[in-house]
Amino acid sequence: MTVGAPATSAPAAPRWLGCECCGLVSALPADGALRHCPRCQHVLHWRKPQSLQRTWAYLVAASVLYVPANVLPIMRTTQAFRDRPHTLMGGIAELWHDGAWGLALIVFIASIAVPLMKIGALALLAWSAQHAPQWRRLERARVFGLIEAVGHWSMLDVYVVVLLAAMVRFGALASAQAGPGLLAFAAVVVLTMLAAHSFDPRLIWQAPAPRDP
Amino acid sequence: MPDEQPSLAVCERCGQAHRWTRLAPREVARCSRCDAVLGRGHRLDLSALLALTLAAALVFLIAHGSDLITIRLAGAEQRTTFPMAVLHCWRAGEQGVAVLAAVTALLAPALFIALRLYLLLPLALGRVPAGFAACLRLLHQVSRWNTVEVLTVAALLALVRIAALAQASPGPGLLALGALALLLAAIESAGLRHLWWHVP
Repeated sequence: MTVGAPATSAPAAPRWLGCECCGLVSALPADGALRHCPRCQHVLHWRKPQSLQRTWAYLVAASVLYVPANVLPIMRTTQAFRDRPHTLMGGIAELWHDGAWGLALIVFIASIAVPLMKIGALALLAWSAQHAPQWRRLERARVFGLIEAVGHWSMLDVYVVVLLAAMVRFGALASAQAGPGLLAFAAVVVLTMLAAHSFDPRLIWQAPAPRDP
Repeated sequence: MPDEQPSLAVCERCGQAHRWTRLAPREVARCSRCDAVLGRGHRLDLSALLALTLAAALVFLIAHGSDLITIRLAGAEQRTTFPMAVLHCWRAGEQGVAVLAAVTALLAPALFIALRLYLLLPLALGRVPAGFAACLRLLHQVSRWNTVEVLTVAALLALVRIAALAQASPGPGLLALGALALLLAAIESAGLRHLWWHVP
């Protein structure tokens, strides 16, 4: 494992801007006029515009939809002429009672723990970027990396229901349909992914006093 | 090629600038400030990447063209592929969920593979394809929404949950889906930035 030399030893140019798409490094002109990467034309931002506002907006929307996602059934099944709704937690409880503890744990982490952790952690990151800029920077940066890496695993239950609904089609004997909670849950997953993408992790390292443009 | 590499790298996560040197295979460079990965030494050259991507294209067609799971209950048999399941979801009135599932598990990996093939085939022949930069920008966006590995685990979970109810058996699509997840992870680990070294 090698570590690049810190920028203090790099050429004393004002501000270096890396393209997140192609990696090319450009110097930011004094008037901040650089808008696109000169090589691949990807948008360049010194900071993502309205990062915190957008993050908060997605987080609020995700939190609101989190309620119907958990209260409404994500799936309805008919088994031997009996109709039953299944909520997110209910499905996990069923797996647990069937003795499939490992699976119950996987689904619990993907469907309950990850979305909650993402909403909570992103709210903390967005709050601390404004109000506690110096607080535990390295840990905050690592938390953000984790959020980005695990976010899409919450799609797990959405796919499971889509597959079950398509396969369990034996009429009154046994059948499964997606419930109204599924769309709400899918929206929560997408909104938290958008919230994570809107948050600019460079805000964690921003110097507290002078605000950057 | 090596001397065309930029001599500076800026950390995507915190904006810290670093001097950049070419990394040996398996070497990982991390940001001195926030510890995020700056870059990895490549083990795969252009032809190896092309071979993996061609394999991924083939495996993608098998994974989504053949049965994922077959179930039998009271003499009746049901089998499904993932695209059929998405179509069923759409027809059952869950259009939002169907679109989301199609975009993340079908469209994103399909573009992931197709755009790479479009770029890698001409590059391997020493030519730069038209719209090179635009394709790379699109690929950069697409990678974030690719969830093939999640779909693989979901199919296994569905199999286990059906097995409690009826006789269920995995189909060839399930195996291909697992292989596709591994192939895409291997291809993605090489990143995209090195493709610029082949552009004069």
